[in-house]
Amino acid sequence: MEASSEPPLDAKSDLVDFQWKLGMAVSSDTCRSLKYPYVAVMLKVADHSGQVKTKCFEMTIPQFQNFYRQFKEIAAVIETV
Amino acid sequence: MAAGELEGGKPLSGLLNALAQDTFHGYPGITEELLRSQLYPESIASADMDFNQLEAFLTAQTKKQGGITSDQAAVISKFWKSHKTKIRESLMNQSRWNSGLRGLSWRVDGKSQSRHSAQIHTPVAIIELELGKYGQESEFLCLEFDEVKVNQILKTLSEVEESISTLISQPN
Repeated sequence: MEASSEPPLDAKSDLVDFQWKLGMAVSSDTCRSLKYPYVAVMLKVADHSGQVKTKCFEMTIPQFQNFYRQFKEIAAVIETV
Repeated sequence: MAAGELEGGKPLSGLLNALAQDTFHGYPGITEELLRSQLYPESIASADMDFNQLEAFLTAQTKKQGGITSDQAAVISKFWKSHKTKIRESLMNQSRWNSGLRGLSWRVDGKSQSRHSAQIHTPVAIIELELGKYGQESEFLCLEFDEVKVNQILKTLSEVEESISTLISQPN
């Protein structure tokens, strides 16, 4: 089951650490009443040379739920391979 | 034009101004741009204007002399309903200064050998995350996970979900 544009082997990194926090955006200069929760993730990834980089990103709750759902699918598939 | 003089908050009068123009002069349409230019410069109290509040306000206006008709109220109400989410999303995106998750794609390989080690028949998941900051190009992050790691992440994600459930169930 291969993708049509497969990245070269050494472009893949290993996940070294996964940190998260659940935050609530309350207010900002563009909108005084934001009130939305978000999931902030900090990944530590090591490339093939061993160099560790930090990658941060945020997800809205629906985005997180989709993310979680996809990981469950991955887990289900990897179990059967 | 009565719409411009309505009380009840600058954002609403801005919105109604724009809508009144559309209704009375047949302007091509209220684009999000126009709406934004009307609402954003004002000190916006809330982009999450309570829909019930809006309905109540509009109903009151239909009863006033020189106010809006109930047809117009219905148009405004419908318009706000359909645009509110987009406006809110736009505001959320603008206030997020970290990268957002734009996409995720994955595949599972039944790996028999790798460049770095002689693993035999170890399945791996290859996940590509598309990240990007507001208004900037995407950055792609390609990660490799074995089954153990996938399950570790899954456990972490279930903790996140629990956290979310706790947050949502708390009255604020």
